[in-house]
Amino acid sequence: MNAAGYRSSLEDGRRVFLDGQRVLHLAEDPLLRVGVDWVARSYDAAADAKSALGLPRTPDELRAFGELLLRSDTTLASTAGCLALEALLPELRAAHADPARAIESFLKRCREGDLRATVARDVFAHDLRVVERRSDGIVVRGSKLAVAGAALVHELLVLPAGRAGEASLAFTVPVAAPGIRLVCASTAPRENDTRHYPLARRFSVPESVVLFEDVFVPKERILLDGEDDALAARFREAVGVWERARSAAQLADRADLLMGLAQTVTEMNGVPEEANIVEKLSAIAVYATMCRAGWEAAISHARTGAAGVCLPDEAFVYATLHHATHLYHEMVAYLHDAAGGLVITCPSVADYEHPEVGGYVEKYVRTMDGVSGNDRMRVFHLIRDLTADAYGGWLKVSTQSVAGGMHAQRLAAHAYYDLDRARARVREVAELGH
Amino acid sequence: MMTGQQYRASLLDGRRNYLDGERIEDPSKHPLFQHAVDWVASTYDRFYSPEPDAYHPMFMIPRTPDDLRARSEALRQSDITAGTTAACMALITAAPELGELRPEYKTRIYDYVDLCRSQDMRCSEVITDAKGHRKRRPTQQDDPDFYVRIVERRRDGIVINGCKMHITGAALVHEQVVLPTKRMRRGEEDYAVACAVPTGAEGLSIINTTNAPRNPDGRNHPVSSRRNLPDGFVVFDHVFVPNERVFLAGEVSHSAILAHALGVWERSAGVAGAANAADLLAGQAALLAEMTGQLDDAEIKQKLAKIAIYATMCRAGWAAAMATATTTADGTAVPNSRYVSATKHYTMDLHGQMVDMVQDIAGRLIVGCPSFADFDNPELAPQLAEAFAAEGDYTPEQVLRVFHYLHDTTADLFGGWISVTEQLAGAGAYAQRLVTLRNYDLEDAKTRAKRALGILDGAMAGEPQ
Repeated sequence: MNAAGYRSSLEDGRRVFLDGQRVLHLAEDPLLRVGVDWVARSYDAAADAKSALGLPRTPDELRAFGELLLRSDTTLASTAGCLALEALLPELRAAHADPARAIESFLKRCREGDLRATVARDVFAHDLRVVERRSDGIVVRGSKLAVAGAALVHELLVLPAGRAGEASLAFTVPVAAPGIRLVCASTAPRENDTRHYPLARRFSVPESVVLFEDVFVPKERILLDGEDDALAARFREAVGVWERARSAAQLADRADLLMGLAQTVTEMNGVPEEANIVEKLSAIAVYATMCRAGWEAAISHARTGAAGVCLPDEAFVYATLHHATHLYHEMVAYLHDAAGGLVITCPSVADYEHPEVGGYVEKYVRTMDGVSGNDRMRVFHLIRDLTADAYGGWLKVSTQSVAGGMHAQRLAAHAYYDLDRARARVREVAELGH
Repeated sequence: MMTGQQYRASLLDGRRNYLDGERIEDPSKHPLFQHAVDWVASTYDRFYSPEPDAYHPMFMIPRTPDDLRARSEALRQSDITAGTTAACMALITAAPELGELRPEYKTRIYDYVDLCRSQDMRCSEVITDAKGHRKRRPTQQDDPDFYVRIVERRRDGIVINGCKMHITGAALVHEQVVLPTKRMRRGEEDYAVACAVPTGAEGLSIINTTNAPRNPDGRNHPVSSRRNLPDGFVVFDHVFVPNERVFLAGEVSHSAILAHALGVWERSAGVAGAANAADLLAGQAALLAEMTGQLDDAEIKQKLAKIAIYATMCRAGWAAAMATATTTADGTAVPNSRYVSATKHYTMDLHGQMVDMVQDIAGRLIVGCPSFADFDNPELAPQLAEAFAAEGDYTPEQVLRVFHYLHDTTADLFGGWISVTEQLAGAGAYAQRLVTLRNYDLEDAKTRAKRALGILDGAMAGEPQ
C-alpha cells in the first residue's frame, strides 16, 4: 500500500471521536491528520525499502529492523508485534487448532492487504465480555483503554488484560466493524501556527479508548473464548516484543538527543566547561551510553525464535527499558537546569517574525557571534516539545508504561535474567561443589 | 484597595504585550490571558476591604514566625502575582544596607513600598538578564545590552536598556521591579541598577509565552485553565526612570544584596508551594489506588509510603524555615535560608521520582483519557460510564477528573512549566547546594566531630554529642 492508498483505506466507515465530535475524515481533521500523515509517510518509505513487515532472520536483519521501527510510525511496531504470533504457530497447530487457524488467517490478511494492526488489551476496571453466543460467532461488549494508534490502523488484536479472575477472551476485529467506537486523545498542537512544535506537529499518534457495543466476532476470528489463561499470557508476551524493542531503541536514540541538546545549549551559552555544567553533561553521557549499551547488547545477544525470527534478548530489553525510564526524569532535569528558563519562555516563531518585537527576540536570544537568536530559539522549542509540553508528557508516560510500567519492567528484567548462570557462579566462587 | 473590576480596568494603561506575534490590547479579553486576569481579579475580590487603611496581607512586614505563617497562608489563597510582589519584600529586606550606602535609597524603598501597598498594586520580580555569553562579564559582551544597564544619567533620573527574561506575570502586574541579576564589579557601574518601572511605561515591551491551555474546554485542564499566568521577556528600550524610583544606580559594592534578598523570598514561596503540592500528589495517588482497587497491593503501598515521606519532609523543611526565621536590622523576619535552600534542593531532587510513581500507578490512561465533551456525547456516554466505573462510591466522572488533573499537572504543558519553574525559580540545584553549605554551621559540626574523635581539649573519644 502506498500513502494515498492508506489514506483512502481509512474511509471505511470507522466511528472515530475527538473532543466529543465524530470525525468523518481523519485525513482532514487538524489534529488527527498529523498521525495519518506520519503513517502515510511510513507506508511510502517502506514501499521504497520493500522491507515492511518482513520480520528479521539474522542479527544484521534485526539491527536493520530496529532502525526501520525507529524511523517508522508506532503502528509499524504494533503491527510487527501482531505478526510475532507467527512464532507460536508450530506449537499451536498441534494443541490448539482453532486459535492457530484464526492467527494464520489474521496474519495472511495483514500481510496480503499490507494492513496495520494494534493490540487492544488494557482496561480500567471491567473487562470485555461476551453478551451472546451464536453458532457462527460471539457478540462482545465493553471497552479497552489506552490503545495507541487504534484510529490509524485497520485491525485490532484484542487480548485479555491479564487481571485475576478475568475470562480469557481474544479475537481480531476490523476497526470499522459495526459497534466499535474509538474515542481519541491527541498531542498534536492546537495552535494555528505549529512551527514551534518540531516534534508534536509531525509525530503525534492518537491514543484511543475502544468501545465495543454488541460487536459481532465471527468464529474464524476468535483466538480464545475463556478457555486458556496460560495461552492468553503467552499471546500478551509475544505481541509486545516489537513494541518493547522499539521502545528500547527509541530510548537509546532519545538519550542521544538529550545529550546533544544539553551539549548544544551549553555551548550556545558559552559554558560547556563550567564545573557544574560538566557534572550534568557527564551524567547524561553515562546515561545515554548505558541506554545505547543495553540496546546493543539486546541485539548482539539476539536469539532465534520458533518460526526462525531473530528476536532481541528480552533480559537486556527489559533492563534497558527500566534503566532508561527510571532515570529519565533526572536526565530531563539536568537538561532543564543546563538550559534555563527559556525552555518554557522562549518566544514563538511568529514573535520572531513580528515587525515590532522580532528584532528584540533576535537581539536577546542570541548569545555571541555564531549563535543566532533564530538557531537558539529553535533549540529551545525542541527542548520544550520533547520534555516540557503535551508531546513530551505523552512520550514519557507512554514509554514508561510499556510492558506494564516501570515496576513490571523491573520484575521482567529479573525474570529473564540468566539466573542459572548466576547461581552456578555462586557455587563456583563459594566452592559449594555440585 | 482595588476590587477585581478595578484591577481589570487598571490593565488598560497602554502596556505593550505580545503573544504569538500579536499585540494584545486588552488582556482581560484575550482567550489565552483572560483566565489569568480572572485569577488575579479573584484575589483582589477575596481580600478586598473598603477600609481606607486596608491592604493585602502580603504587604504586612513580618516581624515574627507567626507573621511569616500568616503571610504564607495569605499567599496560598492568592494568585501568583501576590507572590511575585515579594519583590517589595526584597527591597525592604535590603533597605537597611542600602540606607547605609545612601540614605535616600532606603527612604525611596519605603516610600515605594508604601505606594504599592496603598494603591494595592502588583509587582513582578524582574531579575534574570539575557546574559549573552555566560562566561563573559557584562562589559565584555558583543552586545552591551545583554545585561540591563543605565545608558543615560539625567538630573531627574536614569534611562535604561536591556531585557529581563522569564518574568512570571509581568504582563498582568502594575510594576516591574528591576534588580541586578548578580554581583557587579568595578567598571560595571552602569549594570548595578535597581529600580521600579510602571508596566505601561514608554519604551517597555513584554513578549509573552503562556501555559494557558489551547483547548477551549477547560474541564480537560482543571488547573491550568484557571490558574495560568504568562511569562514574559521584559524589554527596556530607552526607558526613563525618575529618581524616586531608583534604588541603586552604580554602586557595584551593593549590587548583589537585592538578588540575595529576593532569592530567599522567591525560594520561600517555592518551598511553601512545594509542601502543599506534595500533599496534593500524595492525595491523588491514594485516590487513584482506591478507585482502581489497588490500595492493598504491596507495591502500591510502597509507592504511597515513599510519596508520604516526601510530602512530610517538604512540610518539615518549610516549618523549620519559619520556626527558625532570622531578623534583619529593621526587624523584618525572614525565613531561614539554610532550611529554605535545603528543602528546595530536596524537593527538586525527588519531585520527578514522585511523579514517576504516581504515573506508574495511573498508567498510560493519563495521556489517553477521553475528554469531558466525549462524556457529554449521548452516543458515547453510557459506554464510557461503564468503561470508567470505579471501585467504591466514585463516579466515572470523578475518575475522569483524576486522570485529567494528573495529565494537566504532570504530562502536559502546565506540568512542564511546573517542573521547570520549581527547578529554576530562585536558582537551580547547584546554587541551592552552595547556599545551604554557606548557611550550615560547619564550625559547630567540626567541633562535634573533634569532640567525638577525642581531639578537642578535655574531651574523650566516643562521648555523647
